[in-house]
Amino acid sequence: MNNCDPIVAKTLSVAYPFILLFGFYIILNGHITPGGGFQGGAVLAAIFIIRYLITPEKNIDLKRLQIIEKVLYLCIMLLPILLIFNQMLAFDWMKQFYLVSMNTLIGIKVCCGLTIIFYRFVLFESR
Amino acid sequence: MQQLFFLLMIIFSILAVQTNILRRAIIYLGVFSLISSFTYLLYNAPDVAIAEAIIGSTLSTILFLVALKKYKIFRIYLTKTKGHHLSPNNNDLVNALKKFVMKEELELDVIYTSHNLEEVLKLDDFDIIVEEKNDQLYIFGDGTNYHYENLQKYLQEDFTGPVVYNCLILETGDDE
Repeated sequence: MNNCDPIVAKTLSVAYPFILLFGFYIILNGHITPGGGFQGGAVLAAIFIIRYLITPEKNIDLKRLQIIEKVLYLCIMLLPILLIFNQMLAFDWMKQFYLVSMNTLIGIKVCCGLTIIFYRFVLFESR
Repeated sequence: MQQLFFLLMIIFSILAVQTNILRRAIIYLGVFSLISSFTYLLYNAPDVAIAEAIIGSTLSTILFLVALKKYKIFRIYLTKTKGHHLSPNNNDLVNALKKFVMKEELELDVIYTSHNLEEVLKLDDFDIIVEEKNDQLYIFGDGTNYHYENLQKYLQEDFTGPVVYNCLILETGDDE
């Protein structure tokens, strides 16, 4: 797992942008097609796993990812409070905006969380 | 179609339980959750199917494989000073370690280095470090590793080299 094979590295680096695109597609169309924030976030977390497989340097800033995750959690808490309890969802486009923004926030939060789990597990947890 | 998938799910779950090799069991579990994702799709639940395919068959399989990889390898650093050949006692120790590793079903990974003890300690991916100093073998191991206690017992019973060896328990901190 420590050495990166050149064939695997080349192939996966070709697949890299497609996974990014697919993850954001699932997140942004979460309210009309199957999928949503959680599933799209899990697909986005696959990017960081691939990064672990293809790049030789393994250092990643987990502290910053944790801070991002906490801030996003605060946003997920605040957005329904601000929008729903002030009865601002009267128009149709407001509802759509609310769903898309909530899906995006949840997706990026799940991506950060799964990445933290994976990297902690791979790099730090010893026997 | 559904009956076929149900039959395959039963077959793969029985295979995953019955096989003796852990790595094979993990792969069977991955295939099992992929088929169960198909069956979710047949029950008109594409949302759950996507979640099952991503988490059950990809993420958890990778995490299980990494855990297996971490568990299996037993890494040994043999440090030696420059221009100093390894003594035959050292080879005896390596043979004893090979027998121990065979008994515990692990993989042995022996690395000969010319680094000092402190430099190897910085690498932080060792299981034990063997150092030879003044015709004595010093074995350093992590005290929190549960293989280390078994190794100590095994060496005291089986390894009868003429050289006195010292086992030191080295407590590594939990900080990153």
